[in-house]
Amino acid sequence: MKISTKIKLLSSLIVAAFFIANSQVQAQSDPSGNRRVTSSYAIKNATITTAPGNTIKGATILFKDGLIQAVGTNVNIPVGTDVINGDSLFIYPGFIDGASSAGVSRPADPERPANFDSSNPTDEQAGITPWRSVLDNLDMGNNAISDWRKAGFTIAQAIPDGGMIAGKSAIVIYGSGESTNILAQNTALSARFRGSRGMYPGTPLGVMAKFRDVYKNAELSSTHTRLFASNSGLNRPEINKTYQAMFPVLDKNIPVIFEVSNDLEIRRALRLQKELGFKIVLSGVTEVENVISEIKASNATVLLALTLPEDKTKAKEDATDEYVARTARVKEAYEKALKQAALLEKEGIKFGFTTSGAKTGDMMKNIKIMMDNGLSENAALASLTVNNAQNLGIQKFAGTLEKGKLANMVVMTAPIFTEDSQVKHVIADGYVYDYEVKPKRAANGNGNKNGGNPSGSSVLAGTWEYVSDTPAGSSGGLMKIEGSGSNLKGTITFDDPAGNGTAQADMKDIKLVDGNLSFTFDVSAGGMDLNVDVKGDITDDKFTGRMSLGNFGSFPLNATKKPNNSNF
Amino acid sequence: MKKLNSIIAAFLVIVWMPTMGQTQKGSVLIKNATVLTVTQGTLEDTDILVENGIIKRIGKGLSANNVTTIDAKGKYVMPGIIDAHSHVALDAVNEATAPITSEVQMADVVDPYDIGLYRALAGGVTISHAMHGSANAIGGQNITLKHRYGTFDPEDLFMKEAPRTIKFALGENPTRVHGRGKNIQPRTRMGVEAVIRNGFNEALQYKKTWETYNSALKQKGATPIPPKYDERLQTLVDILDGKVIIHCHSYRADEIYALINTCRDFGITNIVFSHVNEGFKVAPELAEYTMGASVFADWWAYKFEVYYSTAYNAAILTENNVITSINSDSGELIRHLYHEAAKTQRYGQLSDDQALALITINPAKQLGISDKVGSIEEGKQADLVIFEGHPLSVYAIPQMTFVDGVKYFDINDDQDDMRLRVSANETVEPIFLKEHDHNCMHGVDFFFNNFGRSLFQHSH
Amino acid sequence: MKKFKSIIYLMALLLFPMIAQAQFDGEFIKPRNGKFLLQNATIVTVTKGTIQNGSVLIANGKIEAVGQNIPAGDAEVIDCTGQFIYPGMFDGGSRLGLVEVNSLPETQDFAEIGQVTPNMRALVAVNPNSVAIPVTRVSGVTTTLATPSGGLFPGTAALINLNGYTADQMAAGFEGVILNFPTSARRSTWDRRSEEDVKRDADRAQKNLNDIWERATKYHEMKTAKAELQFYPEMEQLAKVIAGELPLLVEVNAAGDIEVAIKWIKEKGVKAILTGVAEGWRVADKIAESGLPVITGPMLSIPTRQSDRFDAAYTNPGKMAKAGVKVVIRSNDAENTRNLPFNAGFAAAYGMGKEEALKAVTINAAEVFGVADRMGSIEAGKDATLFVSSGDPFETKTQIAHVFIDGYRVPMSNRHIKLYQEFLQRSPGLEK
Repeated sequence: MKISTKIKLLSSLIVAAFFIANSQVQAQSDPSGNRRVTSSYAIKNATITTAPGNTIKGATILFKDGLIQAVGTNVNIPVGTDVINGDSLFIYPGFIDGASSAGVSRPADPERPANFDSSNPTDEQAGITPWRSVLDNLDMGNNAISDWRKAGFTIAQAIPDGGMIAGKSAIVIYGSGESTNILAQNTALSARFRGSRGMYPGTPLGVMAKFRDVYKNAELSSTHTRLFASNSGLNRPEINKTYQAMFPVLDKNIPVIFEVSNDLEIRRALRLQKELGFKIVLSGVTEVENVISEIKASNATVLLALTLPEDKTKAKEDATDEYVARTARVKEAYEKALKQAALLEKEGIKFGFTTSGAKTGDMMKNIKIMMDNGLSENAALASLTVNNAQNLGIQKFAGTLEKGKLANMVVMTAPIFTEDSQVKHVIADGYVYDYEVKPKRAANGNGNKNGGNPSGSSVLAGTWEYVSDTPAGSSGGLMKIEGSGSNLKGTITFDDPAGNGTAQADMKDIKLVDGNLSFTFDVSAGGMDLNVDVKGDITDDKFTGRMSLGNFGSFPLNATKKPNNSNF
Repeated sequence: MKKLNSIIAAFLVIVWMPTMGQTQKGSVLIKNATVLTVTQGTLEDTDILVENGIIKRIGKGLSANNVTTIDAKGKYVMPGIIDAHSHVALDAVNEATAPITSEVQMADVVDPYDIGLYRALAGGVTISHAMHGSANAIGGQNITLKHRYGTFDPEDLFMKEAPRTIKFALGENPTRVHGRGKNIQPRTRMGVEAVIRNGFNEALQYKKTWETYNSALKQKGATPIPPKYDERLQTLVDILDGKVIIHCHSYRADEIYALINTCRDFGITNIVFSHVNEGFKVAPELAEYTMGASVFADWWAYKFEVYYSTAYNAAILTENNVITSINSDSGELIRHLYHEAAKTQRYGQLSDDQALALITINPAKQLGISDKVGSIEEGKQADLVIFEGHPLSVYAIPQMTFVDGVKYFDINDDQDDMRLRVSANETVEPIFLKEHDHNCMHGVDFFFNNFGRSLFQHSH
Repeated sequence: MKKFKSIIYLMALLLFPMIAQAQFDGEFIKPRNGKFLLQNATIVTVTKGTIQNGSVLIANGKIEAVGQNIPAGDAEVIDCTGQFIYPGMFDGGSRLGLVEVNSLPETQDFAEIGQVTPNMRALVAVNPNSVAIPVTRVSGVTTTLATPSGGLFPGTAALINLNGYTADQMAAGFEGVILNFPTSARRSTWDRRSEEDVKRDADRAQKNLNDIWERATKYHEMKTAKAELQFYPEMEQLAKVIAGELPLLVEVNAAGDIEVAIKWIKEKGVKAILTGVAEGWRVADKIAESGLPVITGPMLSIPTRQSDRFDAAYTNPGKMAKAGVKVVIRSNDAENTRNLPFNAGFAAAYGMGKEEALKAVTINAAEVFGVADRMGSIEAGKDATLFVSSGDPFETKTQIAHVFIDGYRVPMSNRHIKLYQEFLQRSPGLEK
C-alpha cells in the first residue's frame, strides 16, 4: 500500500517538476525589468540548521534552479551566482504547512430549485463533492499566501473549503508566479463535521451516517466496476462521480483529512476510521490529553493548530472565593491548552503544524509559549519541517537542507524561537524573497490586523457569502454591499423561515469602524417581526461575527467576500 | 483559609476526574437500610453487599472484608432510577431534515461532559435513554447510557448490554417540521401513518434484494452485482426482524392506535409509546399489543395535541395493566423523577410499589434491560440510590448514587463545581436564565417553533 | 291520508332532536356559597398557631369563627375528622388564565407588542373559564398573580382568585407594574455574545431604562402641576408607580443585576418587589439589607450556572429567608400552577423548613400584596379562602378534600378528573 502511494505521488511530482523546469527556460524578454538575472544563489558564512538538531556554523548553502547544490563549510561558489552575505544570519529549512486554507475560497452553493426536496438533496447541494480539487478554488496570488510565506512557509497542503466532504487537497509550493506551483494534486480527501444548511445531512448525526453511506456504497460501486470489467453479461455500473472520487480513499492511496474542533470530534473521526478502515489525518486537534491513547492506537497523522487561547484570568484584589475557584479552573484549562504540543511530543507523536485558523502575527509567539510549556526546540522545528514532509510523503525532496532537495528555506536574523529573531529572507522554490527587518520590534504586537486596510470601506463593497451556525444547523446567504464611508447600502438574503426558498431584506445601519462591521435587518416570520443584529470584525476578505436574534440568543456568523474578478 | 480550601478543592476535582475512566466496577456494603426492592417488597433494617458491580447478597448482618461500609440506618435504598426518555449528554438531538432518518445513531454524538449527567445522578438517576428528537416520523437510533460521570470517553457511558432502540414520532412535530415547514410529506396524521408504512414496505423489498444477492453469492461461478447499501432501510429491516425496540413519541389516542395497527400488520411487537398523553384512552390496546407507555406525570396544554390530557394518565394505564413508566424528556425533570413518580399518588392514589415501579423496573422492561437492572435483587447490577426520607415524599433528598457499585454522587463529599471541562476563554461564566435545553425538539425549536412563534416553555 | 301520515312523520323527525336535547344525564355541580361549618379538623392558621379538633365557620364569604366547639346553627356541616385546614395558597407569579394552549399564538394573551407597555393590564385578559383554572384550584392554590411578560415594561400584573365568571369577581385587590430589569446575563445556551458585548448591551439597556424613567418622572411632575399634556397611556401608567399608587415588580435574576436593581430602586425611591431572583442566594445579605421583599421560583429548575451546586435552585429561597428576606414562592408556570405546593416542598426540604415555606405561599404573599387584612391565614374576619386536606399540602400523596374561595365551595372536579372517571375502566374495553 505504502509503495503505491509513493509511486502515485511521485508521478504527479514528475509532472510538476517538468512544468517548473520548463518555465525556467521559457521567458527571455521582460520589458518590466523585474525578472531576476540568475537562478543561482549562495548564502555565505551563515549558521545553517539543515535539520532539527543538526546545525553547522560558518556554512554556505548553494542552490540553483530551485535545487540545493551544496551545503557545508567548504562550498565552491561558481561564477554567475548571486551571493548573499550570511554573516550573523541563521538558516532553517522552509516551513511546511500540514493543512492550509490560505488563498482557498469556498465554491458557491448551487441554486436550490423551487421544488427543492430538503430531505433528498443532490450530493453537490449537500456539500458532498469529493471530486472537486482545491486547485479550482485556490488563488496563489492571494495576500494570505504571501503573508504565510513571509512567516516562513514555503510548502503547504491546501485544503478545499465546502461541506462535509469538500474535495481533494493539493500540495503547493509558495514560489514565483511564473510556475503553477503545484507539487502534487489529490493528496488527501477533506472531510469535516459540517452539516448542510436546511437539508440532509444537517447535523453531526446526519454527517456521520452520510459518511458511512458514501463510503460503503463507494465500496460496492468499486466491486461492481471490477466485476463488470472482468465479466460479460452483467448490468453496466452506474458511474457516480462521488463514488469514483472515493476510490483512492478505499484503496488507501490517500488519507481522509478530518478537520476537528474538539476531542469529541476527534473521537467521531476515529470512530469512522475504525469502522471503515481508511487512513486518517486529524487536523486542528485540541484537548488531546483526553483522547491520546485512541489517537495512538489509530496511527493517525496529527496536525496541531498554531492558535492558542488568550489568558483571561486576572488576579483581583477583592476576589470572592467563588471567583478564585472559578478562575483557578479556567487557568488550568488555559494551561492545558498550552501544553498540547509538549504532550504530543512526550507521547512520541510526530505531529505537524497547521496554519488553519491561525494568524501570521501570532505564530512565533504561540510556538514560544508552547516551548515555555515543555515543547522542545527540536520538536518545534520538526513540526514545522520534517514531520510535515513525512506526513505529506514529500520527505525525499523537502523538509531538510541537503543537496538534492528543493531550495526552500527561512533566513533569520537570530536563532529561531529567540526573542528578537526576525525573518530576513524566505527562499521558496529557489526564489528569494527579501523582507524588511525592523531594527527593534514594536514592544507588543498589538492590534495585528494582518496588513490590509481594515477601516477602509472599499474592502466592504461587494458580495459576501455568509454562513451562520444555529441549533437547527447552519444557514446562510449573500450580503451585497455597495457604497463607501457613511453611505453604505446593502441587502442580505437568508433561508425563508416561512418555508422554502430564499428571502431578502435591506441591511440597515451599516457601520464600519476600525474593522468592526455592524448592521441590522428585519425578518418577518409567523406574523412576528424580528430585528436581527449583526456585528463582528473584518480582516481582508473575511468577516467573523455574531448575529443576535432578540431573546432567541446569538449565533456565529462568518462571511467571506467573493472575489470581484477572477484572478486566474 | 477558606480561599485556599476552595483552590485545593478545585484542584482535587481536576486530579480525581481522569482516574475515573473506563467502566469501573465497585464493591460496597450498605448496612441497616430500609430497602425498597420494588419487585420483592420493602425490607426493613437490611444490608446489601455489592461485589464488583453486582449485588451479591441482600440480608441482615452481612459483613465483608476490605469493602467500604456505609451505615444507612434510618435511610432508604432504592434501585437506580431509569429514565426511558432523555436527551441529556447529547451534542445533537434532531437530524430534522428528512421524515425517516433511521440511519443516524445517537451513539455518535454522546457528550460525556454534560453536567446534566451529574445533575441526574444527584436525583438518583443511573440510566437514561438518550434519544433522537421528535422531528421525524422515524428518527434515529437511541443509546442507553449508564451515568458513569467522570469519563471522557462517550463509549464508557454506553450500556453495552442494552438492546438497540429507535425513535419514532407522530402528530404535530413531524407534520410541523416536514409538512408545514418544508412542504413535504407528512403534513397530516394520515401522512405520518403512510410514511411509516411505506418505510416498512420498502424495507421488506430491500431485505429481499440483499437476500437474493447473498444467496446468489453462494452459488459457484455466479457473479452477482451487489445492490446499493442503505443503512436507513437496513435499520427498518432490523425492526421488522425484532432486533430493535421502537420508542414512539405520541400524544393522541387515534395516532397511537393507528401505529399499533401498523405494527400488528408488520408483526412488530417491540414497541413502547412515549409521552402518550392520551394513552389512557387506548389503555386496553396498549396493554394488549405493546411494551407499554412512558409518560409525563402531569405535563399538558403546552400544545394542542396535549390539551385533552389528564394527570391521572399513569394511574389509569397502570390499573389497566399497561407497563407504564414516567420519563423526563428534560434536563430539569430528570433531577426529580422520584417526585414525578410520587405524583401518581396524588393523581390516582397508586401504591408505593406501583409508583416506584414507574421509574425503575418498568422503564427497565421497556428498554429491554429488566434482567440486569430496575430492582434490588441478588445478581443484578448494583445501581443504587440512598435517600434521606422515603423517595416518594416531597421532602426526600438523595444522598448517594451508585452505578455498578461505584459511587458517582455523594451529597456530603462532592464539590459544588462538578464540571469536567472548563473553557479556557471564559472567566465570566455564562448565567443561563432559560432552561429546558434538553428536549425532544432540541435544535428544531429555533426555526420551526421559536422562530417567530412561541418563545415560552415546553415544546416536547 | 298518505299525505297526512308523512306530515306527522316529518313533524316527529323535527321534534325528536328537541326532545333528546332536553334529556341530560347527571347533574352539573356549581360553585356555591352559603353557611358552612368545617368540623373537627386540625387547623393550621399560619399566624395563630395550630388548633387541634377545631372548626371553621364560613358565612357571607368570610370566616366568621375559628376555634373549638363552634355551634353549627343553620350551617351545613362538613365533617373534617382526621383532616387539616389551611389557608388558600398564593402563587406569586403565573400565566394561568392568560394562555390556554402554550404553543398556539391565538391563545397567548400574556405578551403584547412593544417594549414599553405598562398599560397592558393582565386582569382584563384573564379567561375566567380557562380549563386550567379548575385544574389548579383543586390543589389548594386559590390565588395567583396573573403576570404578563415580554418587553421592558410588559404590563400590569393582577392578583386573582381562582373562582368567578368576570374579571371583577376574580380580582383579589392587587395590581403591580412589571419591569424586566436589564440583564448582564446570557439569555440562553445559544447566546454566545462576547463578554464585552454582553456588558455593552447591558449598559445600553440600562441607559434606555433610565431615559424612559426620566420621561415618566417628568410626565408625573407636569401632570401633578396640572399641565395640559397630550394623552400618553404608557407614561400615565408609569406615573402611577412614581406617585406610589402602584408598586413595581422588578424581575431580576443574575446576582450582579440584583445588586444594580436594588441600587436603582433606592435611587428612584419606588415601592418595589423583586421577582425571579434566581441567584438571590449569592447576594442574600444585600437583599435583606435593602428590605425589599422577594417573589422567587420555580425551585424546580436547573441552576443558573454550570458550576453551581446541583441544588442551587432548591436551596435559594431557604438561603434568602435565613438572611432575613421576606420570601414569596411562585411557580412561574401556567397550566401546571398546581405544582406550586411541590415547589414549596422542595424549598422546605432544602433548607427553608416547612413552616417558613408555608408562610411563603400564604401570609408572606398576602403581606407583600397588601391584602393581609383579608387573606393569607385562617382568622376570623378574613375571606373564607381555604382548603381541607388529608395532610400536609406540600406532600405529594396528600389528597385535597374541599376548597373554598371567597366563601364559595368550589366543585372538586375538572377536566383531568372527569377523564379519569371516564377512562379508568373504559367501556367498551378491548372488545366491543
